[in-house]
Amino acid sequence: MSEFASPPATATGAAPPRSGPRSFAPQSGFSPWKDPSQAPIVRFDNVTKQFGDFVAVKSCTLDIYEREFFALLGPSGCGKSTLLRMLAGFEQPTDGRIMVQGKDITALPPYERSDVNMMFQSYALFPHMTVESNIGFGLRQEGMPKGEIAARVEEAMAMVELKPFAKRKPNQLSGGQQQRVALARAIAKKPRIMLLDEPLGALDKKLRQQAQFELMRIQESTGTTFIIVTHDQEEAMTVASRIAVMDKGNIIQVATPNDIYEAPKSRYVAGFIGDVNVLEGKVSGITDGVIDIEGAVSGCHYKTRSNEPVSIGQQVWLAIRPEKVRITHDKPQSAINVVNGKVDDVGYLGSISHYHVKIGNGQRVTALRANTAMTVGPPISWEDDVWMDWPTEAGIILTS
Amino acid sequence: MQTRFSWFNVTSIVLGFAFLYIPILLLVIYSFNESRLVTVWGGWSTKWYGSLLNNEQLLTAGWVTLRVAFISATFATILGTLAAIVLTRLGAFRGRTLFSGLVFAPLVMPEVITGLSLLLLFVAIGMDRGFWTITIAHITFSMCFAAVVVQSRLLDFDKSVEEAAMDLGATPVNSFFQVTLPIIAPAVISAWLLAFTLSLDDLVIASFTTGPGATTLPMKIYSQVRLGVTPEINAVSTIMIAFVTVGVLAASYITKRSTMKAAADARKAQ
Repeated sequence: MSEFASPPATATGAAPPRSGPRSFAPQSGFSPWKDPSQAPIVRFDNVTKQFGDFVAVKSCTLDIYEREFFALLGPSGCGKSTLLRMLAGFEQPTDGRIMVQGKDITALPPYERSDVNMMFQSYALFPHMTVESNIGFGLRQEGMPKGEIAARVEEAMAMVELKPFAKRKPNQLSGGQQQRVALARAIAKKPRIMLLDEPLGALDKKLRQQAQFELMRIQESTGTTFIIVTHDQEEAMTVASRIAVMDKGNIIQVATPNDIYEAPKSRYVAGFIGDVNVLEGKVSGITDGVIDIEGAVSGCHYKTRSNEPVSIGQQVWLAIRPEKVRITHDKPQSAINVVNGKVDDVGYLGSISHYHVKIGNGQRVTALRANTAMTVGPPISWEDDVWMDWPTEAGIILTS
Repeated sequence: MQTRFSWFNVTSIVLGFAFLYIPILLLVIYSFNESRLVTVWGGWSTKWYGSLLNNEQLLTAGWVTLRVAFISATFATILGTLAAIVLTRLGAFRGRTLFSGLVFAPLVMPEVITGLSLLLLFVAIGMDRGFWTITIAHITFSMCFAAVVVQSRLLDFDKSVEEAAMDLGATPVNSFFQVTLPIIAPAVISAWLLAFTLSLDDLVIASFTTGPGATTLPMKIYSQVRLGVTPEINAVSTIMIAFVTVGVLAASYITKRSTMKAAADARKAQ
């Protein structure tokens, strides 16, 4: 498993030499969602789910394409699991349709949805069966000949390195091994779409990272469409080709990890994925795609390049990632995109440092600096008076 | 660290157990009495067990009791399991509270009332009283005990295991027989043994619902005791005690073993 510890090794070494459906860089050209000739493998069409008065999913429309590793991301209770369970067939939508490969499967019970298999958060292993017969369970339901089942089980166990444990019962396995049995059991059915409900939630951090790369390797080598539900934004960013960010039953934004991070649509998305500084202001001018903003903190003017359709006088928020903020003791020459404040807190994390600075209105702005070279001048410390600035390209205009 | 018992503790335990078990112990000892007179000790003998084999009436009653217990325990377990599944798996449905109340009411219902109401029912529908009316009555009152035992097991059962079975292509029926039933099997067996034991020693309900030709062992013993206790009764009672003890011990052993085994396996996995 060690060879999957770093993503580049997987891309060149262990994985088959063919140019995979998706390499680890999302820019590599796998983007069927941009190709209008591609038909989605899964389509949620205006799907709503209510439990009594509680609306778990509000008229969601979502297309997922073949060979995608799609992540549903959001806090608990946002409806992501409900969406997944509706696709598996455990919940019936109150309204709307679910299509798989163009066929309406909304009314099918779970055991007739042969294209879809699910891996459960609790693993849901059969405690009275050995690892082997757990993995073969789904194949036995199909009435597959015994020899074929044995071969498929063998193959699935090899894929997740479970062979030595074939005769054990689930409660004789560690958490990480149980997680692999759950994965192998679903994958043995060779579904076209694999659903994963918080599959790594019960693992500790180190094991989880290892398992993430293992999931990516299996997804790539089998060519299966994976849909994962997670509340861990780092996990979603690591594994997914696209992420749908959900909140209170709504899909807020669907985009690649890169776009979600660099071009979030709202303050909610910006805040959910990574750290972000949000500065309030009013639009004071628009020239050639550059928007001028009069900051809410008096004397602050911001300029940022954006295609966001805004009008003069409109209230907007400027989101800037901490790593794009420069922090110095000396006042920068330009007066645009500059804020002044006192260092409130310094977080030294070894490779990087966080600087939390309190600005005029009491708001905290975070700057992040890599501890690469010897710093020139005195180090920045608590209570220092500092200046922070950022380039015109760094800010993102958010209107909601 | 060893817990040391104080004199007070020892005394209260001894008295408590004596209070509970001396009468039963006496009965067992006297069943091996040589003497014809129940109250006079005449040395050890197993002759009353031998003469029991020739007592046609007691043997018939014993056979009726076993058949009633076997059939009623089986049906009570099936019905109780179904009730438990409905109560734990169907979620909130209209009338759920009423249903669960009705299932568990016989637990606290005085036996006299259960017996009397069943008697009235059998008379009203014109059913001839006998073997089958006793069996039906026993199913009725032991079903709720079976339901309680199975329900407690179903409640701490991860529902996603059944979902996983269906996700992997098992129909609800297949999923029940291949996954749910094997997992709850210890509870189902316990429920059966409990229902069997309850039926075996029931006197009140059986007396109400019996008819000609269907006398259970407790009824037979009770009627004979009124004419005076014979050593044979002691012998047959001892056999019944053995039956019930084995049943109860087996039920608790089965339940305990499955939890202990799971704990041991979990330790091994560390």
